[in-house]
Amino acid sequence: MRTFFTLSAAVIALGASALSAAETYKPFDKQVAAQPRGIVEISNTSGSVEVTATDRPEVVVHGELGDGVERVDVTSEPDRTVIKVVLPSHSSRDGDAKLRVQVPKDSELHLATVSADASITGVLGVQRLNAVSGNVTTEIAGADLELKTVSGDVKVRGHGQAARLYVSTVSGDVHLDHGAGDLETSSVSGDLLLSLNSARSVHARTTSGDLRFEGKLTRGASFDAASVSGDLNVRASAEGGYAYEISTFSGDISNCFDARVDKKSVGQSLSGSRAEGAGHMRLKTMSGDIELCDRN
Amino acid sequence: MNGPDERKVKSLGELPVAIEPPRDLWPGIEARLKAPVATVAAVSPRPAGARLAQLRWLAAAAMVASVAVGVWIGREVLPLSGGAARAPQSATATALPASPEGAALNASYVSDPRYQRQRTELLRTLQARIEAMPPPARLKVTASLATIEHAKEDLERALGKDPSNALLQELLINTYQDEMRALTDVHEASDPGRGI
Repeated sequence: MRTFFTLSAAVIALGASALSAAETYKPFDKQVAAQPRGIVEISNTSGSVEVTATDRPEVVVHGELGDGVERVDVTSEPDRTVIKVVLPSHSSRDGDAKLRVQVPKDSELHLATVSADASITGVLGVQRLNAVSGNVTTEIAGADLELKTVSGDVKVRGHGQAARLYVSTVSGDVHLDHGAGDLETSSVSGDLLLSLNSARSVHARTTSGDLRFEGKLTRGASFDAASVSGDLNVRASAEGGYAYEISTFSGDISNCFDARVDKKSVGQSLSGSRAEGAGHMRLKTMSGDIELCDRN
Repeated sequence: MNGPDERKVKSLGELPVAIEPPRDLWPGIEARLKAPVATVAAVSPRPAGARLAQLRWLAAAAMVASVAVGVWIGREVLPLSGGAARAPQSATATALPASPEGAALNASYVSDPRYQRQRTELLRTLQARIEAMPPPARLKVTASLATIEHAKEDLERALGKDPSNALLQELLINTYQDEMRALTDVHEASDPGRGI
C-alpha cells in the first residue's frame, strides 16, 4: 500500500511539472506591403526563423509566440520592413518565437538571432545574417552574403553564381556547397567544409578547425589558407593551373601529383607549378597536416 | 686682442687674392686615395667582436623590419573584413612570453596603442559578455578562446626556438587578428539591442 502511494505521488508530481513546463504558443499574423527590392530586417532571440521568398510585393509574417514573448513589432517604411520579436524588459531571453516570414524574392535580408535557428530559401538579394548560438541555413544566388555566428553552425547552399561571400564563426562549423566567386571565411575551432563550383579568390583561416576544400578555380584565381593546428585538405583544379607554395612548421605535406616535399630539420615545404601556373595557391600551418591535389 | 704682427683690415681690397699653403698638400691626398682597402682597414682597425656585434644589430634590424612589413601586410593587405576589429600592429605586447627568447621577440614588435586599448577594453568586459550568452554558446565560446590562447602560446614557444621563422610570425599575427575578431564578435553578440 505504501509503495502504491509513493508511486501515485510521483506520477502526479511528474504530470504537474510537465504541465507547468509545457509552453503554450499563441499565433501572430501580419501582412504589410513592401518594395520588391527593399530591406527586410528580422530579429528574434529564441525559437526559430524561417524565411521564404515570394513574387508578391509584400511581407507576410506568421508567428507562434511563446509565453515569454511580449509582442512582435512589424513596422513598414517605403524601403524597409522591420520585424522584431520583443521580450519583456528584464527578460532572461528565453521567450520562444517561431517565425515564418515571406519576403519579396529580391529583398535585401538582414537577420539577427541569439539562440534561434534560422533558415532562408529563395531570397535573391544581399543577405546579412548574424546569430550567436543559433544555427543558420541559407540559400544564395548571385548576391553578396555576410554571415557571422559565434557558436552556431552554418550551412550555405549556392547555385554556382558568382558572389562575394564572407562567412565567419568562432566555434561553429561552416558548410558551403556550390558556391562561386570570392570567398572569405574563418573560424577558430569550427571546421570549414567548402565546395565551390568556380572560385575567383578564396581566403580561409582557422585556428584549430580543419579545412576541406573541393572545387574549381577560375583562371588566375588566388587561394590562400592558413591554420595553426587544423589540417588543410585542398582538392582544387584550375583552368591554367596554379603556382603553389606550401609550408608547415611541424605538420606533414602530401600531394597527389608526386611533387617532392622539401623536408628540413624544422618544417616542410613544397613549391612549384601546375600547368601554366596562372593562379596562386598558398597553404600554411604550424602543426596541421596539408594535402593538396589538383584534381577534383 | 691682436698680436704684434697683426694689423687691422679696414677693407676687403686690402686682403690678398690668394694664399699659398706652406707646403703642397696634393701628394698626401693622392697617396691616401690610391691606398688599398687593407691599408685603410689597418689605419682604423676594428676588432672582430665589434664587427660581429654590428652584424647582429643589422640582423636584428632586418628582423624588426621584416616583422613590421609582415604586420603591415597583415593589417592592410590581408584584412579579414566583415566589420571585424582592426588587426594588431603589435602582436605580442600584452601576452606573456613562453620563453626568454619569446620575450626578446616580443620586444621587437612595434606597439600599437589603438590595438592595446581595444583589446584591453574587450577583455575587461569579456566575462560579463560571455555570461550574457545562452548556456550552450558559453561553453563553446570559452573553449574557442582557450584554443586561441593555446595557439598563441604554441606559436610563441616555437618562435622562441626559431625567432626568424616567417611562417610562424605570419601565423602568430593571424592568430592575434583572429583573437580580436572573436572578441569583437562575442562583444557584439551580447550587446543588447544590437545583435552581432
